Amino acid sequence: MNRKLLSRLLLVGVALAMLAGCGGGNGGTSGNNNQSGGSDLSNLSGELKASGASFPDAYYQEVVSAFKEKAPNANVTYNAVGSGTGKKEFGQGLTDFAGSDSLVKDSDGVAAGSFLYVPTVAAPITVSYNLSGVDKLQLSADTVAKIFQTDIKKWNDPAIAADNPGVTLPDKDITVAHRSDGSGTTNNFTRFLKAAAPSSWKLGSGDTVAWPSGTQGGEKNTGVAQIIQQSDGGIGYVDLSDATESKLAFASIKNKDGQFVQPTLEAAAAALEGAEFADDLTYNPLNAAGAASYPITSPTYLLIKSRYDDPTKATLVKAFVRYVLTDGQALAKEVNFAALPSSLQQKALAQLDKVQS
Amino acid sequence: MTTQTTQEPEQPALTGGGGGVRAERLFSRWTLATGLLVLAILALILITTTNEAWPVLRAGGFRFITERTWDPNPQTGDAVFGALSFMYGTAVSSLIALLIAVPISVGIALFLTELAPRRLGAPAVTIIDLLASVPSVVFGLWGVLVVAPALVHVYRWLNDVLGGIPLLGDVFGVPVGTGRSFMTAGVILAIMITPIITSISREVLSTVPQANKDAAYAVGATHWEMITGAVFPHSFAGLIGAVMLGLGRAMGETIAVALVIGGATAITPNIFAGGNTMAAIIVQQFGESTGLFTAALIGLGVVLFAMTIVVNLAARVVVNRAELRMRGAAG
Amino acid sequence: MTATVPPATRAAAGQPDLRRSALSLRRRTTNRVAMAAITLALVVAATPLFLVTWTVISRGLDVLSWQFLTEDIPNSYRRSGGGMAPAIVGTLVITGMAALLAIPLGVFGAIYLNEYGKRKPLARVIRTMADVMTGVPSIVMGLFIYVSFVVVVGAKTAFAGALALACLMLPIVIRSSEEMLRLVPGELREASLALGARQWRTILTVVLPAALSGIASGALLAIARAAGETAPIIATVGLTFSVNTGLFEGQNTALPAQIFRNASQPFAAAQGRAWGAALTLVAIVLIFTMLARVVVSRFAIKER
Repeated sequence: MNRKLLSRLLLVGVALAMLAGCGGGNGGTSGNNNQSGGSDLSNLSGELKASGASFPDAYYQEVVSAFKEKAPNANVTYNAVGSGTGKKEFGQGLTDFAGSDSLVKDSDGVAAGSFLYVPTVAAPITVSYNLSGVDKLQLSADTVAKIFQTDIKKWNDPAIAADNPGVTLPDKDITVAHRSDGSGTTNNFTRFLKAAAPSSWKLGSGDTVAWPSGTQGGEKNTGVAQIIQQSDGGIGYVDLSDATESKLAFASIKNKDGQFVQPTLEAAAAALEGAEFADDLTYNPLNAAGAASYPITSPTYLLIKSRYDDPTKATLVKAFVRYVLTDGQALAKEVNFAALPSSLQQKALAQLDKVQS
Repeated sequence: MTTQTTQEPEQPALTGGGGGVRAERLFSRWTLATGLLVLAILALILITTTNEAWPVLRAGGFRFITERTWDPNPQTGDAVFGALSFMYGTAVSSLIALLIAVPISVGIALFLTELAPRRLGAPAVTIIDLLASVPSVVFGLWGVLVVAPALVHVYRWLNDVLGGIPLLGDVFGVPVGTGRSFMTAGVILAIMITPIITSISREVLSTVPQANKDAAYAVGATHWEMITGAVFPHSFAGLIGAVMLGLGRAMGETIAVALVIGGATAITPNIFAGGNTMAAIIVQQFGESTGLFTAALIGLGVVLFAMTIVVNLAARVVVNRAELRMRGAAG
Repeated sequence: MTATVPPATRAAAGQPDLRRSALSLRRRTTNRVAMAAITLALVVAATPLFLVTWTVISRGLDVLSWQFLTEDIPNSYRRSGGGMAPAIVGTLVITGMAALLAIPLGVFGAIYLNEYGKRKPLARVIRTMADVMTGVPSIVMGLFIYVSFVVVVGAKTAFAGALALACLMLPIVIRSSEEMLRLVPGELREASLALGARQWRTILTVVLPAALSGIASGALLAIARAAGETAPIIATVGLTFSVNTGLFEGQNTALPAQIFRNASQPFAAAQGRAWGAALTLVAIVLIFTMLARVVVSRFAIKER
């Protein structure tokens, strides 16, 4: 073939591809909650690698499987290695997008301005416990703080009894379970304690915290759930999905308005309603106002690049994230995650438009 | 007399045919190189890991080893990396393992060298070999799902009985609900280091000269008195070496301990509480560490490497010297 | 003429009473207790072996099936069903590559130590350091390969895991092969040398074949040990849910890593998979260990 002709064809082809990739992001802003990508999905092909938070892992794996049915030629893998590693691998370019419960700090290895936050779901962080004979437990934030600091060592302590009038508490030792790996769940849980029990909680907040001796550390939410499951008298913080699946009992936590609220999806949604959203779509539903709000509701985000060099990759990422935000939201409830309120959903979809390729 | 014809008898050609000189040099150099590979790898391990860990080791200096706090991702301020809690955990769990394993291993070695009727000797060795071949992760799985929950009851009972006594009560304190603790880690470790202590002890004990033993019998010793009087003094140094090898193995064991020790970064005298060891914390937090945090974990690896090298080297030297002495005595 | 005088009357006559019952009760009891304790030690050591074998077999058999051996790992821990095929394949690939790397190098190193180095100072140093190297914690080996290979190459691969396992196997192969070479009678070497063969020829054609069964047995045991290593795999190989036979492309997984991951799960399905994987791993290790014994017993040099 004539060289000149070939190079001209290539140029035209590349130009067309770029136009298709970049121009296609003028997403519809219809008010329809279930705006679906329709039959475009079956034409998608390619590979997406993602890693990050274990908190939303159950939800993301459901979405990945459902997406696979819609787009059989596209291969998406999400590896729940924890928010910290997810951010690190995303910053190093090893993954195409990341999942994180905590915001990006300078030390995470992700360049500021190179990424966008996309809120996906939210879920309550339960304070799960294993105490034979006690089905219902109410705890105020101060009590929770003191328990997790091991200031309170036994279940029949007066502070717990004060929160639970009329309940006979056994004389058992409390085994506190926490995360041994760095965790966005720990981050959100300790931020709640700092905000709601500032005079009692002394361990600060962060992905890891200096837990006192006599406690037990487990890997990922499931490791913590396993510890609670195995100890008679155990208590710990676990996401609702894993706690339900492990058949643990949850405590009702006193919220900002003084009500003891169970960690349900409705209560999580109530917390989201009252939360303030920043411009970059990060928000803080912890210790939210509202009588029905569950105070330890955790947000979780997907981090996507603001610019993808490969246009096909950009298309695939946008299609997948759009699926998460539209059809995928229906799957959230099945695995005990709260879907986004529609206002937030629209804003999240708008984020996708900012992606360049 | 017949005159010989000038035919020389066939002499074997003593050069060539057996391989050339160059081939010999090549081969011997090649085998030397592979032998040196061992030294090269050890040196490389030390160099590369220290290099990676250097930023943290230099910034922390000696405090890396003496600091208790391990806070890699503080919300505010600089990260603090202190290895003390993990060194404590490594020391305590290894010590418990030795306390349990040494009497048992030496006992088995004595059984094999002194007591075993021929028929029982081979099955006993098979049992020890099988024990050695079970992968450590399988011991860890069994430990965390079966042993730890079962041992909690034993710990609770011990705590009830001994909890009131002043010093003992601190050591046998309130057990954690899962049973994952220094004690459980020590038990699992003991099972895992028994084979190596047994096999080295057996070698050491079998070199005691029969003459020494007979002499003890001759002056009227019972079997046990012969063992304490003739066998132990003779093989003492070798047994120490065997114990040190077991210690080295216990310090380096990673996976089984990570599963059963409880993942708590704390220094406490309570052996029924959870803790953490250097090897275990690396495995737990490595996957999600970044930058300085990774360097700190690798720094822990360097400290662990140095400690196990020192212990193993000392052990081998002790065992070798003891064996030389014994071979000399027997010969 | 001296008749055999019973001990009792001898004692009465002032000579030593050699009956056991003449010993003090304390000494006899101490002896009995000590002998019992020594025998008990073996029982105490055997008990965990039986317990762990029993548990692994009984819980593992509940899960083991053809489906378990051939299906992919479910991407959600709580999902029941699925299998461990990627882990089995990963274990075989990684351990196989590690064996290919470590065994030849180890045998040559042993040849150096026993045939050329012998008691020279360098050889003694190498011998001691090889023993020391068997005690290096496996996590340190994993960190080493991570730092010097994974980061440099930029990806976690099965080959990185194979390198780490090879480093762990090398000293074991060297020392066990050296022991086997030492067992070869010197006369064989001398006869070969007398016929005019150079040393390298002697080693390759006479000594190695004679020691081969022992070397093979040692190699099989080293493979069995490497197959059970977990920490280096976690640090260097990554994770995959589907079978990946490539050594250099993509992450992989292995049975020990899967057991470790599933051991901390609260879900019965995940724990079941852990037991099944444990049974599979123990079976693989056992096969190699048994093979090693068979090789030695059937093919070893018969002593004269």
